Amino acid sequence: MHRNQITELLNIKYPIFQGGMAWVSDADLAGAVSNAGGLGIIAAGNAPADWVESEVNKIRKITDKPFGLNIMMMSPFKEDVCELAAKLEVPVIITGAGSPGNYLKLWKEKNIKVIPVCPSTSFALRMERYGADAVICEGSEAGGHIGQLTTMALVPQVVDAVNIPVIAAGGIADKRGAAAAFMLGASGVQVGTRFLVSKECNAHQNFKDKVISSKDVHTVVSGLSTGHPVRSIKNSITNKFKKLEKKGAPMDDFENIGRGALRKAVVEGDIKNGSLMAGQISGLIKEELSCSEIIDEVINGAYDLINNFKN
Amino acid sequence: MTFEKVKNILVEELGLEEDEVKLESNLKDDLEADSLDLAEVVINLEEEFDIEIPEEDYPKFVTVKDIVNFLEK
Repeated sequence: MHRNQITELLNIKYPIFQGGMAWVSDADLAGAVSNAGGLGIIAAGNAPADWVESEVNKIRKITDKPFGLNIMMMSPFKEDVCELAAKLEVPVIITGAGSPGNYLKLWKEKNIKVIPVCPSTSFALRMERYGADAVICEGSEAGGHIGQLTTMALVPQVVDAVNIPVIAAGGIADKRGAAAAFMLGASGVQVGTRFLVSKECNAHQNFKDKVISSKDVHTVVSGLSTGHPVRSIKNSITNKFKKLEKKGAPMDDFENIGRGALRKAVVEGDIKNGSLMAGQISGLIKEELSCSEIIDEVINGAYDLINNFKN
Repeated sequence: MTFEKVKNILVEELGLEEDEVKLESNLKDDLEADSLDLAEVVINLEEEFDIEIPEEDYPKFVTVKDIVNFLEK
């Protein structure tokens, strides 16, 4: 078995995280991933603290292995969720969409491992200085809210800049992507879309089927002009965003269309007016497997690829 | 029939609803297709109709009708 910085740090078997996807990453999915030896992550998204608390209580019944909580720093319930996470002493906290700031100290006092998602080298360096245990570098191949840099460009630059482990994310869905990430210097990978299409994931079947049927060019980035670009699969709602962008419409117009759209896709299976947040690698995903099958293929497959490369 | 096939490809490649695609729809202004989208559509048309469409013909496709007329020729 392969041990590395990240598996040692978190006491997990395989260096793979399941991405924190709002509405998608609940206790069932995260629990399945943790039980399979990866790091399952519950996504707090914009959910209130009581939902987060019930999911954390639930995952502790599903698994005795480490798991993470992804906290979206732009959530209206940010403060409640940040304090709750400390109170519940979740093993790992992932922060996204902003800096964890002063909460980092609070969490470290509870011996929680803190891993911020970083869009740039300077951000990663700052997080390291603040005491982060590792960083996740997510390229713009990823689904959902994205940064500017691609995984291929971002990961090696951050790896060179910081001394803490780096987890690569964005565009990774199979053993080849994982092997490439390890070659870029990453200690682990975070995989989102592939786990969305897993048997244990509660996302609506329509959404999963849409990912399975989509091709390489079918995801688009919406809302660049708003400063909060989002990658999702092309449909009515992305076409509406495109029209708004051309018109130079104000932020409110985007919000009016976007409000509740992710829930529509994930929970209701509305593939027309729902926001089908998914990564560029969607086109590669052809079948729904269990989390343990995915982890085995991605991680053990990557090790085999690397070991056999010379031949 | 040709229109139906073209419509299916446009729906698939541009993330449209079937009722949004009409003969008179302007590909760029109504269906939000950029040049990359259009190239993707043309490649799919080539497969569907088992023909080859020269790149210099792409600019002729302004509306859905232009595509249908081209294919029926």
